[in-house]
Formats: sequence, structure tokens, C-alpha cells
Amino acid sequence: MMRWGAFFATTVIVALIIIFQWPKIKQNSKKDKLAFFMLLLIGWVLSMFDLPNMAGPTTWIEALFKPFGKFMEQ
Amino acid sequence: MEKGKISSLQMAIMMYPTIVATAILGVPSITAMYAKNDLWLSPILASFIGILTVYIAYKLHKHFPNQTVIQFSEQIMGRLVGKILGFLYLAFYIPVTGGIIRGYGEFIVDSFLVKTPISVVMASMVLLCAFAVLGGLEVLARVAQLFLPAFTIPLIILIFLLSPDFEFKNLFPMFEDGIMPSIKGAIAPSGYFTEFFLMIFLLPFLTDGKKGLKYGMMTVFAVMMTLVVVNLIVFLVLGESTISKVYPLMNVSRSISVGNFFENLESITMAVWILGAFIKISVFYYAAALGTAQWLNLSDYRPVIWPIGILLVEFSFWSFPSGMELGRYDLVNFPFQGLMMQTLIPMLLLVISVVSKRLVKKSKTS
Repeated sequence: MMRWGAFFATTVIVALIIIFQWPKIKQNSKKDKLAFFMLLLIGWVLSMFDLPNMAGPTTWIEALFKPFGKFMEQ
Repeated sequence: MEKGKISSLQMAIMMYPTIVATAILGVPSITAMYAKNDLWLSPILASFIGILTVYIAYKLHKHFPNQTVIQFSEQIMGRLVGKILGFLYLAFYIPVTGGIIRGYGEFIVDSFLVKTPISVVMASMVLLCAFAVLGGLEVLARVAQLFLPAFTIPLIILIFLLSPDFEFKNLFPMFEDGIMPSIKGAIAPSGYFTEFFLMIFLLPFLTDGKKGLKYGMMTVFAVMMTLVVVNLIVFLVLGESTISKVYPLMNVSRSISVGNFFENLESITMAVWILGAFIKISVFYYAAALGTAQWLNLSDYRPVIWPIGILLVEFSFWSFPSGMELGRYDLVNFPFQGLMMQTLIPMLLLVISVVSKRLVKKSKTS
């Protein structure tokens, strides 16, 4: 399920970042611009998901350290 | 990339709130849960991890004076493995920073701004930190310098105001179940001490790099002392009930009442804590932005600051439906994950670079 509020808020923030940062980034190298837009795109795409209830990096790490975690929960 | 220069004293002033800020709030109840009345020993044991981490970071810095972990891991392990390792560091620091921001938001929403949406509290903090990081390393260092008195003096005043309520019998009998409970209680705070590895992102920009080790060790000692004192005052006032509190330092500062005049001092604890969290998040944010820019071989880290800000807020929610899951994660995962990423892998890198340097020397002489 998408969370529309988070998605729209992120869209507005991404747009604002591009509007305000573009004049400063214009003179940077092509690579810098590419990184800027790629990272924004990743952030924007992630905002389309229901992140709190989705498995993610932290879930995988939890699985990795499970034996140690069990020791702490004793 | 970073043109600013700081002194090693400034580095120490940045690192102190970076470690202490979040630790003073949660550590007393976590250590009390395992160590009960011997909780004062746990930070001392945990500080050995801090000493080790600072030593490893400094030695790595000696081998690669102008590089951060993202850069020298490529030199040590080769381009491909180094890039993978660099990515692992980014995949560690960005979610961890997100977790810290979430912890900050949960605390504020839990205790004070009950009706404010947590995302607003967190986003405004990220906005503020982004401006600080945009200012560069020198600005960050001066912000930390400016806030250090505001961070430490209220804590000292708190100790004095609480001293009439101290119940020293709370601490006895000592070591009833041996030393094992204190060791187990040291695991969670040792996770905080591994964060000293962030020094690796600051050491290349020191004007007096030789003093880096000395000031790093002094910071470890200062953090250790602060945690011991905070653990002690909390347990001296609250006793066994420390365990059931989420933010025990808040409970003890709420209990202060001197002449019906000094009351509701938990607002001071909150103010102090927000300052500390601001510096902590900024330093982590800076490391994440600088690391990302170095990993992608960019000419500057400023273009990636705002996009990373969005990622930080998103990672602070990812897989954490509520603050409970975050608390659990911080307790059962972070100490081990932090130890692996910030102490054990750096140790491995150090060993490999020392051995390979020896081998190169040998092959030259023979």
C-alpha cells in the first residue's frame, strides 16, 4: 500500500531541492550532477513504498546477527 | 573535497557529544537491566572497545594520512573489493544515522511534542543538520565548540541538584552475582564506543595530526566518566526501578524540587539532549555525505547533502513500524554490527596493510 502523504511530501521536497540547488550545481562536473539526480531519484522511488512495514537492510542485518541478539535477550 | 582544517582539540569537542548525546538517555536503563546495582562498572569495561577503536583509527590514519576509510580500503583491498567495502560502510552509516534521527524524533514526540507528527520533528532536525554540514567541517567544529558549555554545564548542575536525593545503599551489595552481569551490561554501551571510528573521517583534516591519538583517548576517557557518573546518579536516585524507565535521566530531573523554585528541570535535560543530538546527527551526516562523495569520486560532497537528507529520513522509517522495534534493534543488533563495521573490519584492514608493507620491504631488500 502506498502512503500518499509521504509520497507527495517527498515529491515537493525533491522539487524544491532541484529548484534551489540547480543554480549551484550547474557549474559542477557531469558526474556530480548525475550523482545528485540519481540519489534524488532513489529517495523519490523509495517514498512510493510503505517503508515502515517493509523488510529492508536492517531486517537482513538482524537476521545476520541473530545468534548474538539471542544472547542479549536472555 | 574538504578544504577546511580543524585542530585535534576541536575534533575531541565534536566527538564528545557525538558519543555521549544519545548514550546518556538510554544507557542507564539498559546497563541496569543486566548489571543491576553494578551498572557503574559497565561503561568502564565498554571504554576498552573505545580505546581499541581510537588506536586502530589512528594507526590507519598514520598509514594513509590524507584518506578516509572509503578511500584507503580501495588501496588496501584492491579496487573491486575496496569499492564493495566502501559501499558496506555507506550502507552502515546512512541507516545508522537514520536510526539516530528516529531515536531523536521518538524521544521528542514521546516526552514533549505529543501531538506533532514525528516526521515533522525529524525533517526539521535533518534540515538544520543539512545546513550545518553544508557549512563544512570548520563550521561543524565551531558549532560543537559553541554548544559544548551549554551541553556540559547543565549536566554538572543536575548532579549538584540531585545530590540530596542520593541513596548510597542502592549500590550495595556490590558484585552479588560476580562480574558477569556487568560485562553483559557493557555490551550495549560498547556499541556507542565503537562510534569513535568516525574519527577516521576527521583525522585527515587535522592541522596537528600527531595529537589526534592523545585527544582521541582523552575523549574516550571523558565519555567513560560521563557515562559512569550518569549511571551512578540515576541509580542512586531511582534504585532498581531504573530498569523500567525508558529515559531514566528524564525521570530523575523531573524529581528535582529545590525550594519550590527549581522544578520541572526535565526541560533542561531535553534542551541539553537536543543540542547533543544535533551535533551527533551532523557529524554522522557529514561522514555519510563525505563518504558517498568519495565513493563516487565526486569533486565535492555538497551536491549530495540534500539528496542524502531525504535518504536519512527514509531509512529512519524503513523496517521500523514503531519506536519499540528501533529500541530492540539498538539493543540486540547495533552493538555487534557497530563492533564489526567500526572495530573488527578496520582492525583487519590495519593488519593487511601492515603485513603487505612488510612484504614489499622484504622483496625490495632481498
